[in-house]
Amino acid sequence: MVTIKVRAFARFRELFGDSFEIQVSTPATMHSVIQAVGKRNERGLPELMDGEGKIIRSVIILVNRERITGERREEHSVAGGDEVAIYPPVAGG
Amino acid sequence: MIQITREDFDVSELLSEARNSEMGALVSFLGVVRDDGIQKMEIEAYEEVARQELARIRDEAIARFGVRRVDIIHRIGSLLAGDQIVLIIVGASHRKAAFQGCEYIIDQIKESVPIWKKEYTAHGSRWVPGEHE
Repeated sequence: MVTIKVRAFARFRELFGDSFEIQVSTPATMHSVIQAVGKRNERGLPELMDGEGKIIRSVIILVNRERITGERREEHSVAGGDEVAIYPPVAGG
Repeated sequence: MIQITREDFDVSELLSEARNSEMGALVSFLGVVRDDGIQKMEIEAYEEVARQELARIRDEAIARFGVRRVDIIHRIGSLLAGDQIVLIIVGASHRKAAFQGCEYIIDQIKESVPIWKKEYTAHGSRWVPGEHE
């Protein structure tokens, strides 16, 4: 198992908490991290993943402040100590 | 200057600071809390990344339009209708570059800077949807 630091913002902060740690088994992928985050709230998983278990496109994900994009982002590997941030589409300005 | 702050700001003071004889044009954009029957608005940011993104947008505006100076101040925290949210000041040799740079910056802020707004009314609260949802 590895420990991943997670930060969540806006609607996701209200659902999951603003800053917390999760444990996922190795090798850790973005898919396993997002699934573990979603399970923190009984209404949480459908906010992050579709019915087929794929991360919803509008969910923005950063690892160590770098945005992770693309069709294969579920497979992105995540290491112990990484900081994963999740947030919905932005609405500033 | 790039700033994310809980404090209000003085537009005329900031325009005076930005003004100098090298630039023939300063264009500013001021975003204000619109009164849609709200009691208050809470603005939240992922501050470290928002600052990093604002600096990237500033650098892009300078590279694309040849503007000479960019200031961006965005407030967070609890605001009321009529309060100032964001100020962008863009200075350039000529007006066209200043207008283009300013519009580019506000459009980019709405697209990529991690900032969110929640509106509170007498009936409850709701997150303002992004323009790119």
